[in-house]
Amino acid sequence: MTAIRVEALRKSHGRFEAVKGISFEVAAGEIFALLGRNGAGKTTTVEVLAGFLRPDGGAVRVLGLDPAAERAEVRRRTGIMLQEAGFFPDLTVAATVDAWRGFTAAPRSRDEALELAGLAGRAEVRVRQLSGGEKRRLDLALALLGRPDVLFLDEPTTGMDPEGRAATWEVVRDLARRGTAVLLTTHYLEEAQRLASAMAIMDGGEIVASGGMAETLAARGGRVSFRLPAGVEADGLPLPVTVDGDEAVCRAEDPDLAAQTLLSWAAERGLRLPGLEVRAATLEDLFLDLPKQPR
Amino acid sequence: MTLTATYRLGTRLFWQDRALLLGSVATPAMIAIGLPLLMRHVRADGAAAATTLFHGTLAIVLSITAFMNVAVALSARRDQLVLKRLRATTLTDDRILAGQIAATATQTVAVVVACAVAVHLTAGVPYPANPLLFGAMVIAGSVVLATLGAAYTAAIPRAELAGAACMPVFLLSGIAAGAMGPIREALPSWTGTLLDLLPTTAVVDAVRTGEVARPALLLAVWGVAGVVAIRLWFRWEPRRS
Repeated sequence: MTAIRVEALRKSHGRFEAVKGISFEVAAGEIFALLGRNGAGKTTTVEVLAGFLRPDGGAVRVLGLDPAAERAEVRRRTGIMLQEAGFFPDLTVAATVDAWRGFTAAPRSRDEALELAGLAGRAEVRVRQLSGGEKRRLDLALALLGRPDVLFLDEPTTGMDPEGRAATWEVVRDLARRGTAVLLTTHYLEEAQRLASAMAIMDGGEIVASGGMAETLAARGGRVSFRLPAGVEADGLPLPVTVDGDEAVCRAEDPDLAAQTLLSWAAERGLRLPGLEVRAATLEDLFLDLPKQPR
Repeated sequence: MTLTATYRLGTRLFWQDRALLLGSVATPAMIAIGLPLLMRHVRADGAAAATTLFHGTLAIVLSITAFMNVAVALSARRDQLVLKRLRATTLTDDRILAGQIAATATQTVAVVVACAVAVHLTAGVPYPANPLLFGAMVIAGSVVLATLGAAYTAAIPRAELAGAACMPVFLLSGIAAGAMGPIREALPSWTGTLLDLLPTTAVVDAVRTGEVARPALLLAVWGVAGVVAIRLWFRWEPRRS
């Protein structure tokens, strides 16, 4: 079942066209990563989907509803972690959750929400005394209060320590396993790669790459990197490489086969390829290889 | 349910904020109690002068505890992106504002009632001859001023300017109601006509004279104007540019 549908969405801020006709879908139980550089249009897209902004063109549906026209109904079934949003600094964590429970239909108990977000031991601390990562956890607790069918996570783990990040990932995975559709935007590409099963990369308001995470990365092949032996020029190697300083990088559909070819070539000449590293393509490779759109 | 929740939250935040209590409760209460008390002791017609002045200070309480309080709170919450977070819940925009306005109006009514009791006990100001009219006008005035305060945030560029931006409203309300001495008498007569149209003056006039129709009509007009202004210009987030 499709939980989020975006068709030819366009949105401008004044004269600046932030989103230029993008389309994608997120199914129930799917974690979908929306990636891109700063200013790519990700947050604008999320804010349209969350009903904060009306689209200028195209159509968006969340659980079959128009989030701008039917915001109250959409809110009952969605949870939102905004990239930027404030708290009441003088309320304690517990008082904040209690207040938000009052705004939520059939909410989780306070203890359950704090346990989920890893804040059980911080209930009586004032919000102003929380660290940045703890505030993100509180944000998560509030987003999960209503057991949402759709969860918008805009930079959910910014400022969290590795332990907090891993715990948050596990919570998100568990929600997806139970059928929640998750739209994730993040600058942490490793996070997106680990969590998401599908992704789209935005640049300059457009989607420049999209697809299933595993398939897209497999299609990118991989890379073999090593330090060039003394006296060896790049054009003397059996495979094309790019050279940065003394490091040579060979991109190949099958990086294992490329490594074997390079090692055989080196062995025949009595050479070593120091620092040899073979790895499949990562989201970071894909991201960095994208052509930069003019702003 | 959610309106009650925003009302409770607004009330809780108000009463636990000491700085806000000093500015929004202690200061206007000291004016509304202190000035009549002073009049009681320096004027020959002590009780009558204190009564007239106490009725005038209602304009000050309304302009600070209702208008300024809500304008400062909503400007700060807008700039701190707390309003944005509230909009991420099931709350509708109307409920977010209605809860805050209702909480602020309740606080204002409580301050007025406390001041009325205090000046009765200390300055001999009689209790209202028509408590029903007094109560109705104070409640209506508090709601209207809080609504106008919410609308006024659209004219406040940054939260730190909110207090200063509300000063003209405070001064005009005080002068119009005669709570700041005979300044009004020194002004051109046409200004008096305009000052009589203020919502705070409407409440003071009703309490002083017992007139209902004109003050009620004025408050209704101001109330509608506030709601329309909120619909047209209220900003939920700070300007991005």
